[in-house]
Amino acid sequence: KLNKSAGAASNILVSPRQKGNPLLTYIKTIPWEYGPPTLACDYLLGPSTCCLFLSLKYHKLHPSYIFTRLQTLGPSYNLRLLLVLVDIPDHSTVLPVLTRTCLLHNLTLFLSWTAQEAGGYLEGFKRYEHTPPTMIMERVAEDYATRVTEVITRVRGVNSTDATTLVSTFGSVRRAVNAAPEEVLMVGGWGQLKVNRWRRAVTEPFKAGG
Amino acid sequence: MSTTEPPTEPPAEPQEIAVKLSLPLAYQQEIFHSIRSEDQLLILARGLGLIRIITNLLHSYDAAGDNLVLIVGASEVEQEWIGEALAEQNFISKAPKARGLKIITTDSMSVEGRRKTYAKGGIYAVTSRILQVDLLTSLLPPEMITGIVVLHAERVTATSPEAFILRLFRQKNSSGFIKSFSDVPEAFCSGFSPLSTMLRNLHLRTCSLWPRFHVTISESLEIKKPEVIELNIPLSDSMLQIQTSILQCIEASLSELKKGNSKELDMAEWNVDSALHKNFDSVVRRQLDPVWHRVSSKTRGIVGDLKELREMLGYLLSYDAVSFWQYLEGVLAAQSTGPTGQTKSSQSPWLFLDAAQVIFSTAKSRVYTGILPTDSTTSTTSSFIPAGLQPVLEELPKWRELSSILDEIEQEAFRNQGMNDGSYGTVLVMCSDAKECRQLREYLQSAGRATGGEGGETIEISDDDDDSDSEDDNGGKEKEKEREGKATHSAAHMMRRRLRGYLSWKRDLARFKAALNEATKASSLPGAGPGGNIQKRNQESFRGRAPANKRRRMRGGNSAAGSSRGAGGSVQTVEEIASAMADLWRKIQPTEEEQRAKQEVAVDPMEDMEDYFELFEMGNLVVVHPFRGDMDDRLLEELRPRWIVMYNPDTSFVRRVEVYRSSHEERQVKVFFMFYGDSVEEQRFLSMVRREKDAFSRLVKEKANMAITLTTDDSLLDDPQEIFLRTINTRIAGGGLTTATNVTPRVIVDIREFRSSLPSLLHSRRNDIVPVTLTVGDYILSPSICVERKSIKDLIQSFKNGRLYTQCESMCLHYSQPMVLIEFEQNKSFSLEPFADLSTGIGQNDLQSKMVLLAIAFPKIRFIWSSSPYQTAEIFEELKKGGEEPNPDKAVAIGLEEGEGPGADNQTPMDMLRAVPGINGKNFRNVVAEVESLVELSNMEEEEIRALVGKEAARKVHRFFNKTF
Repeated sequence: KLNKSAGAASNILVSPRQKGNPLLTYIKTIPWEYGPPTLACDYLLGPSTCCLFLSLKYHKLHPSYIFTRLQTLGPSYNLRLLLVLVDIPDHSTVLPVLTRTCLLHNLTLFLSWTAQEAGGYLEGFKRYEHTPPTMIMERVAEDYATRVTEVITRVRGVNSTDATTLVSTFGSVRRAVNAAPEEVLMVGGWGQLKVNRWRRAVTEPFKAGG
Repeated sequence: MSTTEPPTEPPAEPQEIAVKLSLPLAYQQEIFHSIRSEDQLLILARGLGLIRIITNLLHSYDAAGDNLVLIVGASEVEQEWIGEALAEQNFISKAPKARGLKIITTDSMSVEGRRKTYAKGGIYAVTSRILQVDLLTSLLPPEMITGIVVLHAERVTATSPEAFILRLFRQKNSSGFIKSFSDVPEAFCSGFSPLSTMLRNLHLRTCSLWPRFHVTISESLEIKKPEVIELNIPLSDSMLQIQTSILQCIEASLSELKKGNSKELDMAEWNVDSALHKNFDSVVRRQLDPVWHRVSSKTRGIVGDLKELREMLGYLLSYDAVSFWQYLEGVLAAQSTGPTGQTKSSQSPWLFLDAAQVIFSTAKSRVYTGILPTDSTTSTTSSFIPAGLQPVLEELPKWRELSSILDEIEQEAFRNQGMNDGSYGTVLVMCSDAKECRQLREYLQSAGRATGGEGGETIEISDDDDDSDSEDDNGGKEKEKEREGKATHSAAHMMRRRLRGYLSWKRDLARFKAALNEATKASSLPGAGPGGNIQKRNQESFRGRAPANKRRRMRGGNSAAGSSRGAGGSVQTVEEIASAMADLWRKIQPTEEEQRAKQEVAVDPMEDMEDYFELFEMGNLVVVHPFRGDMDDRLLEELRPRWIVMYNPDTSFVRRVEVYRSSHEERQVKVFFMFYGDSVEEQRFLSMVRREKDAFSRLVKEKANMAITLTTDDSLLDDPQEIFLRTINTRIAGGGLTTATNVTPRVIVDIREFRSSLPSLLHSRRNDIVPVTLTVGDYILSPSICVERKSIKDLIQSFKNGRLYTQCESMCLHYSQPMVLIEFEQNKSFSLEPFADLSTGIGQNDLQSKMVLLAIAFPKIRFIWSSSPYQTAEIFEELKKGGEEPNPDKAVAIGLEEGEGPGADNQTPMDMLRAVPGINGKNFRNVVAEVESLVELSNMEEEEIRALVGKEAARKVHRFFNKTF
């Protein structure tokens, strides 16, 4: 157990209620420690981030448990997580209700299918606590090959192999865009359907209904 | 029926319908009358002219006038074909009221325009997506529709848009007809779509089955049988060896698969025989999908390998020796150049088998050998190939056979001159696809067939092949023509051209691989995995007759031979030799204007157009044509061939010839049926026939035992009690007061979402669906709830390009309860795990981390996790409980900028534009306003673009389109 610097801000604070939860064994890369029994949430991941844990098996047996927990949670957290472990095969009746509960109580729902995955999520939330979301934002600078593939694969049914083949055959995107359908058809992997879609995508006006 | 009968027709017509039909055979008429009089699902055996029956049916409604008939489920080609056939029939029967077919495919036609067109009536083929919207918005009131004709009924599953259309139609219109057609009986008895379910989806009660062994059909087709000559052609020794080895690899892969997954799967039916069929992949995937996240990556790889091996079997028979070897090299290249340095274990296991070695070495030996000549297939070519390397260039056995058939035909035609039986004396050669078509055309052309009557053949040892180096100038074409005077049956000329194409491809591949690898290293692009097929870069060899200088050429440069690992020494040598060849090739080709290539690429095919399928004229015409399904009926009618050569076996085409022959008793047809004996081709053909027959037998049995469901349409009738309960507004608590409102729950749906099945499911749960163009979100559930739907594939994609982040931003701006719906697929594993490698913990790049980042960035966003569209519909219902209904006008206006109308964009071009470097969320509107399409943008000068997006961005955009390799 990583417990070098007790009370440090970089630790995940775990409620004593969670003792014995198998997911704790999978929190390996981030230090964690037990918090006071008065801790309202199950896992405290930051000053304004908290997490409740719910196993669906338990929820089926005690449907009201989660609501009592929610009432004591208090409004002081900005990001409130509900980490659910899907450990029953029949989730179809439970999930709609839980989703609605999350909407009403301002909870962000995360599903995990194994204790390992659940532990991974907790680690992730702690690790990225101060990470800016640049990784998931629209990026401007990217290398040429990726962008070419990206643009061409927007056409339905066209994969990255097709994109490479197309551009390598014609030598440049411009020539590929201007190529006649018969020519594109002769490119390996490009069947009639794909060619039609491609031609339509590049010749069709951006604005419909003109 | 009598209502549609114009009284002017004489009653003496054999058919009761007043219009003229073009159905000569008894079974066709019988089918027509049965489908005309009753709504049913018609399943006809392949190749018996289904489209023809459909067009006649449509014509009968068209000619009667005042009808509005919709065609649903037809492919574009079919729509075109039906349109032409209707126009033809209208001309013949001169029906005054007939209008022909109108096709509404894109949403390019404005809403008002569509309303007006519909009001006129007639026969329409409408894209399913648009039709759903038009029915929902009552742009096309269902009451107005006379009936719907469904093609490809086997594709109408419970959640398909076609099923939704039929439901919308039946809900408001109980008298209109539904007539559905299919020629794939197998689809109705395998998997999850047994006959009775399909009938329910189609809102039909009866089906009629017309197998080939149906009495009426057999009788009709046995009036006059065509003369058939079967040619069993043995495979060459090396081909047989390769085939055996591939089969061994398949067997080994299969047993590997069984070994690893015996617990979960029922693999009784997995054997080599079934592995040869196309739908084997889908069977395997269907079994593995629910546990796909649990199977090892090895298993996943093997499933991909099986597909590749199966394709390889086909290519062995259809590709020429050089192209086949080129394809194999592509396979190797794909294995050796994964995105990141692959370890040996991630290579396909079959590559390590002895049999694989046999495949590669034998395939290579069909092209050239490193030792001195062992056979005399070709001439001496010291100027072209380095010493010690001898081209072998084995020819496909069928080629020679084809040549001698054509000779035979020629002689026969000479003997029977002046015989007039209504056929045009054409020779029709049918082959499997456009590629093979090109190959044959090239073969027949370059083999320079003997001119009429000469009879004797001399194999030309083409010593003028020495010109191979100089032939790249335009003189080559003329020389070729000259040579056609002499008779030859050797494919040497063509094969040599292929070999040259191969060498140049080899060089291109090396260069391209080097360029791509560099890019990949920089960006961790998830390039083509082992399953990806670089294989098909062999386009060079298929570019056919174009003189070599018209091919695009990569500029010199070092040919960095791609690294080839693992698969054994033989391959390594090949690489070395090839790079030596490439050097030589460069010497042969001193200079070349790359710039010129651009225009020529655009002009080239047009020049070839006239003789695209037409080979040469010799009094008679020889036409080489690929199989095109139902369109071939028309080909036969138009060409009226005297001789038909089936280069490949095809069940349905055999029947088409039967139908053609029986329809025209006076015409003579002689059929040559070619197949490789003891080959996979033969096996496939035979089992195709067997499977269809089995399927029909099962369907006949199921039909006999089927319970007739009289309550088919009951689900559509609203249960009043349930409606009442649903509309009680439970929010008014307290004094026990409840108010019942009369509002049905409403969901506003973006029209682009109609590609998915969710709108259909929401509708079936009695929600009012309002299709509009939304700028923010996909589904609006209440004035405050806005949902962005992401399938797993979309999710990965839109995390990668950052689109989801932008979407979340605008949702948060405009709605108080923004939600992201993560929707898994029905019957697939409900878990994110298959998309992450958990053994290393949650890493920076996997989906889970990105979800975490998204949740941290937008604490307001709520997630909906749904295992299938069905569950999503349930969740939506739960979320809507007690909420206010959303307002469509407001939802449309949200997110639009000042003065911007809700004009619909064409999504794909728009998406592509947005992904172009230099284009961002701000400047793309300028581009859209000024530039018509991507083609136009690609041809613009940098200065012109600069005016739209600014200097820096213009440079990027221009570079994106014009950068060459």
